[in-house]
Amino acid sequence: MMSNLSAMDAGTMTLDEEEQAMLRGDKGPAVQEAIQFQIQVGNFFEARRFVRITHAHVMGDIEVMGDGGLQHLRRMGEQHATCSVPTSSNAQCMHFHADPKLRQDEAEMAKENDILARYQGMRIATTDSCIPYQNVYQPKFGEHVAWGDTGTVIYANSVLGARTNFEAGKSSFAASLTGRTPEYGFHLASARRGTLSVQLQAKMVDCADWGALGKIVGHPHQDYFAVPVIEGCDRMPMSDDLKHLGASLASYGSMAMFHLVGVTPEAPTAQAAFGGRAPTDTMVVTDADIQAVYDAYRYREDGASIVVFSGPQLSLYEMQRLSELFDGRQVAPGMSAVVTTNHMVYSDAQRLGYAGILERAGVTILQGVCFYILQRLSKIREENGWTNLISNSGKLVNTITAHRFNTVLRRTADCVDIACTGELR
Amino acid sequence: MTRTITVTRAWGSAVEGRALVMREGFSPRYDLDRWTGVISRIGHSSEGESIKDRILIIPTSKGGVAGGWAFYDLLHKGIAPRGMVFGKLNPVMVQGAVLAGMPIMEGWQENALDLIGNGRLVRLDPAAKTISLLD
Repeated sequence: MMSNLSAMDAGTMTLDEEEQAMLRGDKGPAVQEAIQFQIQVGNFFEARRFVRITHAHVMGDIEVMGDGGLQHLRRMGEQHATCSVPTSSNAQCMHFHADPKLRQDEAEMAKENDILARYQGMRIATTDSCIPYQNVYQPKFGEHVAWGDTGTVIYANSVLGARTNFEAGKSSFAASLTGRTPEYGFHLASARRGTLSVQLQAKMVDCADWGALGKIVGHPHQDYFAVPVIEGCDRMPMSDDLKHLGASLASYGSMAMFHLVGVTPEAPTAQAAFGGRAPTDTMVVTDADIQAVYDAYRYREDGASIVVFSGPQLSLYEMQRLSELFDGRQVAPGMSAVVTTNHMVYSDAQRLGYAGILERAGVTILQGVCFYILQRLSKIREENGWTNLISNSGKLVNTITAHRFNTVLRRTADCVDIACTGELR
Repeated sequence: MTRTITVTRAWGSAVEGRALVMREGFSPRYDLDRWTGVISRIGHSSEGESIKDRILIIPTSKGGVAGGWAFYDLLHKGIAPRGMVFGKLNPVMVQGAVLAGMPIMEGWQENALDLIGNGRLVRLDPAAKTISLLD
């Protein structure tokens, strides 16, 4: 590891005795390498110390890690890396589903299985979930965690009042091994105050509206340290609404926190949310602004279309609603429809009959993955001749663009109608 | 005299390379074909350009956590950039750069996007927190 610091120098950070022991290698090479990495990152942000964490959520699959990442993981295994706090894994890239339209590489599947086995060997619970806050672990107000998926981070900071930065790649693994993370960014109260005022005048009727709001606010303010304060929500949003808002803000704006006045715990009032800061910008968002987001998408006439419900994975109640919308209908000839969720939700959706309704309607349900991170996705797109991708996820229509889909955001019921009629509207 | 630009934060060893100046945010997941190293998102300001061996000059980091592994993966595939300079970044870029041993900088006093022409030879000196324009 190249560095501005020597291997035993903590730079801006003061270490306690246990951390010094880790740095000396007393707790083994995996922990030593982890804390060295954390000190380098902490120094970039001028962190002064570590904070202890209670939980880590790691991100990594063969699609994003590649062979280099897998080798790194194998070395961690050889060094007997073991998580010191409860740890879960994010959505993965391999669906292991038989649908011939979604064929993936067998050699890469074997590597993915290797990754998952190594995770389990490190004491990681392979939940394969990008919504751990809905059904794996809900940190409490003020609790420090190290989560490696942006949608999970913004939900933890904003809705739960827990504290985490984006902890990507090796970062969340390192935190899991050492049980701590450098104290910078959203671990500090100063970063959590609002910077941007949003007056919400739109009626929010679907999770896609919340995704559209995330695009309107996030896209012109791309800044990790921007914290929007949203006022004017006229009803109590559901967890799924805030999931889509957060995922969209994180995607378009690279943001890690928002406040919703009267809803989220650090925003009993706008004044409290800003904490004495003056907003750098003020926005008003109306029904017309939300509608303009939908209207700006254009269908391409050539090629086939796919409707995708994913990004983040669906909760049990999203599965229930979708099954009600698809009940008794069929995906239209020439159209495709895909849902992604995690194993926990799928298991209950199957038990409760939601999955059966969807599958009888011709919907493919993928477990443990998110659509945009699927291994071999560009080739899958080409093989199916898909040009348009229609989704109710504001995040998905943004994140999938490297695979050259033409994306269209629509409300949930409209997505179902498009899937079942084939009419692109 | 060599023109230099000062940055706020920096990490890594000194490096030289040709600049690839982007006019919009960058994410290795949203914008890049990670098997060829070519910017693939339709309409990106650098669409069609390869990042291999370039020094990326980027106004903002975009989106998600993919960069945490992606730069290390690009290095392994032999198509990594030599360094990155951001106007504003998120921690993912730093975490990914440190894992890949790739120099990274953030925050310019003078607008590097205007001063550094695409394709110019630049030198990043993280210890001095400077970018030097060499040609």
